[in-house]
Amino acid sequence: MAALFAGAAMAQVRYEDILKGPGADWLTYAGTYQGSRYSSLRQITPENVRSLVPAWTYHVPDANGLRTSPIVYRGVMYITNSNALFAIDAATGRLIWRYQDTRARKRGVNRGAAILGDSVYFTTTDNYLVALNRENGSVLFSHKFADVNTGTTSTSAPLVVKDKVLVGSAGGDSGMRGFIVALSAKDGSEIWRKYTVPAKGEPGSETWSDLREWGGAGTWLSGTFDPETNTLFWTTGNPWPDFAGQPRQGTDLYTCSLIALDLETGKMKWYFQFTPHDVHDWDAQSWPMLLEAPWKDANGRSYMRKIVVHANRNGFYYVLDRETGKFLRGTQLIDNLTWAKGLDDNGKPVLIPGHDPTPEGNWVCPSIKGATNWMGQSYNPGTGLLYVLTMQACGLFTTSSQKPVPMKNFAGGGATQAGGQVILRALDPATGKRAWEYPMPGSGNMWTGVVSTASGVVFSGDDDGHLVALDGKTGRHLWHYYTGDDLTASPVTFEVDGRQYVSIASGSNVFAFALFQAGQ
Amino acid sequence: MRSLPLFAVLFLLSPTCAVAQHGQTDLARNPLLKNPEAVAAGAKLYGISCAGCHGADGSGGRGPNLIHALESSPLKDDELFSTIRNGIPGSDMPATKLPDDDTWRLAAFIRALTGPAVENEVPGDAVAGEKIYWSSKAGCSNCHAILGRGSGMGPDLSDIGGTRPLAIIREAIIPKKNDPSRNYELAGNEGVTVTLKSGRVIRGIARNRSNYSLQVVDQSGKLWLLRMEQVKELKVLDHSLMPADYETRLSSAEIRDLLAYLAHQSLRPGSEARDLEGPNQ
Repeated sequence: MAALFAGAAMAQVRYEDILKGPGADWLTYAGTYQGSRYSSLRQITPENVRSLVPAWTYHVPDANGLRTSPIVYRGVMYITNSNALFAIDAATGRLIWRYQDTRARKRGVNRGAAILGDSVYFTTTDNYLVALNRENGSVLFSHKFADVNTGTTSTSAPLVVKDKVLVGSAGGDSGMRGFIVALSAKDGSEIWRKYTVPAKGEPGSETWSDLREWGGAGTWLSGTFDPETNTLFWTTGNPWPDFAGQPRQGTDLYTCSLIALDLETGKMKWYFQFTPHDVHDWDAQSWPMLLEAPWKDANGRSYMRKIVVHANRNGFYYVLDRETGKFLRGTQLIDNLTWAKGLDDNGKPVLIPGHDPTPEGNWVCPSIKGATNWMGQSYNPGTGLLYVLTMQACGLFTTSSQKPVPMKNFAGGGATQAGGQVILRALDPATGKRAWEYPMPGSGNMWTGVVSTASGVVFSGDDDGHLVALDGKTGRHLWHYYTGDDLTASPVTFEVDGRQYVSIASGSNVFAFALFQAGQ
Repeated sequence: MRSLPLFAVLFLLSPTCAVAQHGQTDLARNPLLKNPEAVAAGAKLYGISCAGCHGADGSGGRGPNLIHALESSPLKDDELFSTIRNGIPGSDMPATKLPDDDTWRLAAFIRALTGPAVENEVPGDAVAGEKIYWSSKAGCSNCHAILGRGSGMGPDLSDIGGTRPLAIIREAIIPKKNDPSRNYELAGNEGVTVTLKSGRVIRGIARNRSNYSLQVVDQSGKLWLLRMEQVKELKVLDHSLMPADYETRLSSAEIRDLLAYLAHQSLRPGSEARDLEGPNQ
């Protein structure tokens, strides 16, 4: 029988609940603070997943290419669209309430909500953090944290940690100065702000020749969090102008990097730059995943090392020490990588000349979309494998002779992308070695990611509009469902009244599936 | 009549008409918007040229209710200018043929009449209105919340002044006489009493319902997700839960002050038109 009460008297989402990771509920964008998109649910198995059937579909009004990853708590699903949040009965798909900010000054994609206590949070495209009562949608506050007239917009799902709501920034392809801001979960007031491009005179500013004020390094994907060291891990986007390196000579810190920040102060503990002086728009935006992996010390003794792993748009897969940011290993994520010979001992790319953008153009692999992108990845401790969407594609990168003007959609040039092959790959996270691959036909338009479960099922989207279930150990196809459109966001799984659901918001709809039940 | 006829909308969506006919180079924005003297002058022009059909307060008559019409089919400044100047061919709406300045004055008044309450000067004492809002006499907070205070059962009012014209807010409190539509637009706000098979009784607003499930928020703001097989009896009110006696419950001065308070409820400092496309990142 259905749950009656979505808000039992003592029911409040606590930090400890988010820390536990997904069970019946899915409480943070990446499922866990470590970024693993892994669920402990076991009802749907490799053996019975073929009995998965549609439970409901919710059409999101005015939606087009939804980027939202649902949050689910006590039978209520929260999804976002541009400047809007919807609360949906997660067992029936019926709308409960919606909030729409009709006065937002921009429209743009939105990746989802966050939840804490009785509040559900999301950001408007023009940089307001909105808190709503999770049960009835009443507005608790709407707090402006950045000025849209400085080129900054907001697209990522907020990350709630303890009493803070961490919010990133977007807009780096038109010129802006990236930041991560910690806001009070209680009233939205600012606690700290860390700019990802240093101001003149600050450490790192010497890595810029000019245009620092508009240097980019957006933070448009939610970060991850290590509760043991109270450290946030956040990746940063490309420098601006994307394709024109001349006006910003130097390595352009802290663009295309991973930065580790103290949760309480925002102080940087360390950074690692994947692509110094990027000229291919290879943001570092796939989130850093926090793991422990078997390692050997200098004396050959085995121990579990705390690592942070990252599959990068530039084509390489990185393993770093979580406490120091030291580069440990790097491997090729894709087969066709033409711009670098490899990584040196410090993890810096060894460049092959002739791959920077030019007025005539240079053909480079991977393409602008990258070897992977913001599609959600999953680590399954049961199989020990990391599941990551990769894309093998190339493109022509060109420069423009125009003078850079910020906030005018000028990127210093352009890039093409000719098709591409999307492949879901299962990797040994410590070595980057491939365990299996699931190639997909399609046109390289997908943006969907992965969720995996304790029962060993991997759910992902393919490049042709199908939600698919694979065997996590072998990559064997188990089930699929055609949604009728390109997939644009990642699936999640949750449970209501003892029934496990798999859901994906994509295109203009939210789909939910569960095992067949007579009389449903 | 709730909205402009389609042909009118199509016509109005063609701003080049005005440019071509009057040689104007910049009709995009009303230069007299929010100019108090212009709004006052526009009010006089409205009384002469428009009130006969659209009503002295814009609530309609022979012509459409302007507040409702412009809320459902918003017009840009140049489109409003063009409609006033040229009328709507094929309808009873005549051309005013007013000079440019007077046309802008009239448009500024119509904007003030139909725009969000927070953007315009509103009579009354908002501080006094706040006390009335939170008093047991008015009882507004029994159903409505503002910034997390009050019941979350009914529509939230945190942004009511920032999103709705004063006339619409007034109409919600003091409905027009004999307006049956008040009780025909309740979807999402139906008052319900649900008796469960377990014996529990839940009273609240059905945010949504079907023959199979029911989503209710009770007066304490709590959400109940129900399946109809759990329900023994569902009673749905055939009228709005909004009290219909405010004209006798409150004095006219109290209503004026209450409206002033509600007009100030805005999540943003003023109207911020959506004017830019965002990124795909």
